[in-house]
Amino acid sequence: MSGHGNPQAIGGKLFDPLMKFLLALFGVAVVVMAYRFFAGIGPVSNMSDGYAWGIWEPVNVVVFTGIGAGAYSVGLLCYLLNKGKYHPLVRPAVLLGAICYSLGGSSILIALGRYWNSYWLALPGVWNLGSVLLEVAVCVITYVSVLWIEVLPAMLEGAAKSKSTFWSGIGQTWGPRLASAMPYIIALAVVLPTMHQSSLGGLMLIAVTKVHPLWHTALLPTLGLISCLSMGYGAVVVLTTILRYAWNAKADTRLFADLSKVNGGLLFLFAILRLGDLALQGKLGYLFVPGHHVLFFVLEMALFLTPAFMFFSPKVQKNRGKLFAAALMSLWAGALWRIDAYLTAFNAGDGWEYMPSLGEIAVTVGMAAVGMAVFILVSRLFPVVTLRDSHTQTNLGAGHVGIAAGR
Amino acid sequence: MTELEGMNVSRRGFLKVCTLAAGAVGLPAWAGEKMAEKAASGAKPPVIWLHFQECTGCSESLLRTSAPDVAELILGLISLDYHETLMVPSGYQAEKSLEQSMERNAGKYVLIIEGAIPTKEDGIYCRVGGKTAMETLKRVSAKAGAIISIGSCASWGGIPSADPNPTGAVGVNKLITDKPVVNIPGCPANPYNLLGTVLQYATFGTLPALDDLGRPKFAYARTIHEDCPRRAHFDAGRFAQKYGDEGHRAGQCLYKLGCKGPATHANCSLNHFVETPGAWPIALGAPCFGCTEQKIGFRVPLHDTVEVERPTAPPAFAAIKADHSVVTPAVVGVAGLIVGGMAGASYVASKKISAESEQHPEKE
Amino acid sequence: MRISRRSLLKGAVAAGAATTLVGKAEAREHRESDPESVGMLYDPVRCIGCRACVTKCKEANGLPYSRSADGLYDAPNDLNSETKNIIKVVHLGDQWSFMKAQCMHCVDPSCVSACMMGALHREGEGTRHHEGEQKGTGIVLYDKSTCVGCRYCQIACPFNVPKFEWRAAFPLIVKCELCRHRADPKKSGPLALANPACCEVCPREAVVYGKRTELLQLARKRQAEHPEKYEAKIFGEKDGGGSQVLYLAPKGLSFQQLGLPKLSEESPAHFSESVSHAPYLHGFTPIALYATAAFLIRRNKNKEEEAERHEEGK
Repeated sequence: MSGHGNPQAIGGKLFDPLMKFLLALFGVAVVVMAYRFFAGIGPVSNMSDGYAWGIWEPVNVVVFTGIGAGAYSVGLLCYLLNKGKYHPLVRPAVLLGAICYSLGGSSILIALGRYWNSYWLALPGVWNLGSVLLEVAVCVITYVSVLWIEVLPAMLEGAAKSKSTFWSGIGQTWGPRLASAMPYIIALAVVLPTMHQSSLGGLMLIAVTKVHPLWHTALLPTLGLISCLSMGYGAVVVLTTILRYAWNAKADTRLFADLSKVNGGLLFLFAILRLGDLALQGKLGYLFVPGHHVLFFVLEMALFLTPAFMFFSPKVQKNRGKLFAAALMSLWAGALWRIDAYLTAFNAGDGWEYMPSLGEIAVTVGMAAVGMAVFILVSRLFPVVTLRDSHTQTNLGAGHVGIAAGR
Repeated sequence: MTELEGMNVSRRGFLKVCTLAAGAVGLPAWAGEKMAEKAASGAKPPVIWLHFQECTGCSESLLRTSAPDVAELILGLISLDYHETLMVPSGYQAEKSLEQSMERNAGKYVLIIEGAIPTKEDGIYCRVGGKTAMETLKRVSAKAGAIISIGSCASWGGIPSADPNPTGAVGVNKLITDKPVVNIPGCPANPYNLLGTVLQYATFGTLPALDDLGRPKFAYARTIHEDCPRRAHFDAGRFAQKYGDEGHRAGQCLYKLGCKGPATHANCSLNHFVETPGAWPIALGAPCFGCTEQKIGFRVPLHDTVEVERPTAPPAFAAIKADHSVVTPAVVGVAGLIVGGMAGASYVASKKISAESEQHPEKE
Repeated sequence: MRISRRSLLKGAVAAGAATTLVGKAEAREHRESDPESVGMLYDPVRCIGCRACVTKCKEANGLPYSRSADGLYDAPNDLNSETKNIIKVVHLGDQWSFMKAQCMHCVDPSCVSACMMGALHREGEGTRHHEGEQKGTGIVLYDKSTCVGCRYCQIACPFNVPKFEWRAAFPLIVKCELCRHRADPKKSGPLALANPACCEVCPREAVVYGKRTELLQLARKRQAEHPEKYEAKIFGEKDGGGSQVLYLAPKGLSFQQLGLPKLSEESPAHFSESVSHAPYLHGFTPIALYATAAFLIRRNKNKEEEAERHEEGK
């Protein structure tokens, strides 16, 4: 088994120009959000009774959590299927997941009209189990906590190494304790996304008259699950490649290639299921009706199939850049499918139309920016990222904390 | 009944009037019959009618009923014991009638007041028979069974109370606060509003339901605007802009000329004056000036427009598929820029990394 | 334990197939309308477009007057957060008709299925106990105390009925509730349950309130009396699982032309819940999945620790 890697805190200046820029973008979003709380959702958005969700739900929640599914995808491979070689990818993926899901959760709070009533979600007695959105809400909230618990080992490890006796004490006491509980937490981190990612796909099941037949199907939950796994693998490759160029992170091309083959398989599966379902339901005729729906469908298919083929091409497998491109495309594919199902293929009826407002765009961009900022911050302070320069072969891996301290 | 026969009034005609009066108060037809019975049986309610700062217009309005002999008819339904304009006696004899009626009918007579009561300087600005209006009112109202203020003057002060109100004129209910006072405003008041109220009291011993200003709801619950025959013009936006112009001649809405109909509660649009269809201000091209309303009549300038109190739907229909467009070019532009930018950045980054990867193939 | 890529893909396909198969096994039951349920019947052939119902609805529900974009007083162009009932007009060449739009009070409402915490619920049903509600009327009511304003109901409703107060800091969902607050318990029959203001004020019995079973009979009676004036179908009898507000159509116009969506007999709620619940097997699947995952992960962890101890020992 190849090295588990040695994650390190990146260190460096916390508030460099990039951070300042990202925080400025977030600042704009905060202003919009504050205004939203005073003036209502209407004045800051183009949401309407026909298009009640705008982009905040489809993008901030559904797309971002799709990107954050990296924790789920890699976790499956690494912990469930015991492919230890993917360990170096786990911590960044989990941090990305924790951040993406937190962004999704907080975006929901802003998108909710009567957010102060959300405490009811904690009371199972009032849950309407028929509601797909309920499952999403409860599951996502739980999963956010689980993800941050999964980030904890990195933080505790960093604490254990700290010069302050207080923090190192905490790190050394709680590190091993958490390590022994981790399998039960990671098991949750496998079950929960399986449930809510398929539910996120299934949210549009009930909008029978509004989602275009090319997108509306009983397979929506299944497709949601498959595409989120694919997005997760894509996100990990993209993220780690970026980290390589930003911080000289370890980015083993062969590892990516192997990972991407799984992704490729999933992309093919998605396309086959999608087309097969359309054929079985007799909906292929819609592909010959001129209009923007066909364009988006074709674009989606291209974005799903192109990386699928690329991932199995030896040329691509050897080239980090081509892998990166293909992984990006797989991300776009999943994102586009989600945006299509929720927005472009969603027709509330004649007379209703929607395009995101500047306010909505500002919040989405700002949220993405603060997500990046938090990622950078945590990575600088805690050992999340494995660097290329780590020659020391230690047996520390993600999830095994405190043994180093014992040496 | 013989009296009435003597007046050449048939039982049928009499019944008709009673039914009309009952209808005016919102009582069912059988109530009119009961009223007629009671009146015919001789149990006519005694009425004492006091006049203070008034023009006698309300009394005149009561008499301006065009069906033959109805004036006498009306007088045949009630026992008008004291009315300075209509009674035969004058001077001491008139005052004696008043005292006698008060004695005989203590607690039972209906007291109708026409005209405002001046309050400045102990009310010396209105003296009848040597006594001030305030004194008389206090004395006569003490033993009244029901108190009705007829006309805007008695209801809230009317024209004598217009700015600067030099005599301190007020309505009856400002001076009588311990008993219910029925206000029947109007300048003049609609006689059937009075008649219905009095007859209801006479027949059933009850007063009609009153609103928070003491006005009978059967007459004053709705605004002129709600029942105006020219309403369709208002809804469709057809207005007279100046007196005598096209719109005015065509009988279009007078709102812009200052009609206070939308804010004035009264039933003039339904019960026309002098019982003549079409004999009421708006039908004659004169905008309503809000004579029943204390806040409007003699207060708001004649040609000022008022707020519409209870606007109701104009005749404009929604389409089956309504138009809810929101898309503007700016927003499309920004969204496009962001998506395009991301796509472009992805492409450029991929290309660069690919090239670098090919140049420096590493195992890692 | 090495699992090949192949077996992983195989597993994924198997899972996908299992999902769909199990979906067929666990179907959610089809909801029938309650025998005592109440509703309305709208007859566009009788409607004269007087819009007394629109005005009276505003009055009965204390709704403010909306101003349209061009400043017309109280001429809303659609249902909105101030308008729970509206009369629309459709003009198609020679054919034209009035059309009343308000909540359909579906037998198996999509909004009720979608609502996370039962804010939208059929009277007397749901997980929360609501004071004074009685089961059986089928009226779809809104309880703002558990509503989080997620607006999933707006997405779900095929008729686009629930409206949202976009410009309020404390917004509500607004829709017709069949004037349940106007019910008179002293009266007998359906009026003791609700008393829609629109039905009360309609001068032509174009919109009528009553028990759904009786309304269906009335609709058929009207169709039988004047078959040349009415289309044969009654909308809401079965459409989308059935609704308690029923519609007749004038001869020559389809319900779609009147603005009603084309719906199959299966309610969207039934479809959504069946498909999404299928894999759960009443909660067995997540628990089994968790147990399996926990077991495997723990085993893998122990294996790895043992392997490391082995290495260190060398």
